[in-house]
Amino acid sequence: MGKVKIKRKSTLIDMTAMSDVTVLLLTFFMLTSTFLQKEPVTVLTPSSVSEIKVPVTNTTTVLISPEGKVFLSVSGDADSTYSSEKVRAELIRTAVSEYNKTHSKQVQLTQEQVNKFAKMNMFGVRIADLPAFLDLPQIKQDEVLSDMNNPSTGIPIDENKDLNKPNEFQIWMRAIYNSSNPNLESSIKSGEGIAVKADKDTPYTTVHNVLDNLQTLKMNKFSLLTALKTEND
Amino acid sequence: MAQIEQSDGGKKKKGAQKKMQIHVDFTPMVDMNMLLITFFMLCTTMIKSQTLQISLPSNEKVEQEQQNKAKESQAVTLILDTERDQDGNVKFDPETGKPAHFVYYYFGKPDVTDENKDGLIDNSNLKVEKFIGNQNGETQGIRKILHDKNKTVLAKIAVLKEDWKNKKITDEEYQARAKEIRNDSLIADRPVVIIKAGPNASWESLISALDEMQINQISRYQIDNINAVDSALIFDYLAKNPRK
Repeated sequence: MGKVKIKRKSTLIDMTAMSDVTVLLLTFFMLTSTFLQKEPVTVLTPSSVSEIKVPVTNTTTVLISPEGKVFLSVSGDADSTYSSEKVRAELIRTAVSEYNKTHSKQVQLTQEQVNKFAKMNMFGVRIADLPAFLDLPQIKQDEVLSDMNNPSTGIPIDENKDLNKPNEFQIWMRAIYNSSNPNLESSIKSGEGIAVKADKDTPYTTVHNVLDNLQTLKMNKFSLLTALKTEND
Repeated sequence: MAQIEQSDGGKKKKGAQKKMQIHVDFTPMVDMNMLLITFFMLCTTMIKSQTLQISLPSNEKVEQEQQNKAKESQAVTLILDTERDQDGNVKFDPETGKPAHFVYYYFGKPDVTDENKDGLIDNSNLKVEKFIGNQNGETQGIRKILHDKNKTVLAKIAVLKEDWKNKKITDEEYQARAKEIRNDSLIADRPVVIIKAGPNASWESLISALDEMQINQISRYQIDNINAVDSALIFDYLAKNPRK
């Protein structure tokens, strides 16, 4: 009896083609991606048929949480003269000095704290609590920002109409408007500079408070962030 | 990882160069690529948010005489309301499955007479509608009301749209001429819409209302604060026609 010889076949599969495909996909994702920005609360924006896109540079996003807490995010130019970090560093200096003019309790910031602030995408704490907040490690900062029951979270806002005694939201918005980056001012004037982002279930009165403050500041033109839908929905 | 096979058939002549077959195993490479792809897929936002641009009047006090009064025949007032449960969560409409937004509307001035003396305003011209959108190619709900109010403008724009679809005019031309038609003061029946949001109204309902303005090509609209008369109208309307 002759022995049956089992032929040993190599189990190697040629992965070259697969690798080609994955590299292509990877390139596609790398080129098209814009990274998700970290936000303290996730909001679901309502949808509209408007097809105007949000500009990436020189915008201020006002995020309103369903509880009525307000957060701000500022982005500067793409080039380095007025980069986001420089704009934010200048912004916090102006805002704090503005705040010190009207409040007896002075707030002082160290250079390190300013640098930390410049790297933050979205912020929203009382100015009085800023130094302590900026000294926290990043994980703790995120915790503070997303804790809606914390009284120091969110930029304080009220129905103040007297611009000689601005509330903190008005201080921040004015500091952004008066920034040395001229593009911020011009984009606010054209209505592209301020984007209001709110959850679809938020009561209108909450959002109205913010819109009212913007009107008081004579920033009458702004954009409302929405998702896209078709006319038939 | 990489294997080099030597073909040693044995029949080769001496001195002939050995043929090498090189297999490089790409499996780890593919693994790594997949990981990277997953990372990028999870971290990206493909959809860029859209924006709705609005301009509001400034908060400075305007003298009564300087105010532009809308003509009564053209005025449409929308009052938005959203049904919420005790915790403040938005309820859903059992009929449409959409959030329960209600739009009260009246043409011209509010009617606050009480002819049958039952203590409730008669509300002869207040009606309620919902945001339904289009169904079977027909406008429905509040869209139909606004559509009918702005017929002349919409008919003109429909002609223009046909040209644009047939590539007779460019995109820019279409936008510019549509804007001209929307703001054409010679068209007498262009409505003026006043949007008021009640205390319960959600942000979504306001955006939907602004959206209807865009869809129905209404160029004159404003957002106003709700006043006592409007609240009374709705309270009395609800007292007479309770929601199911």
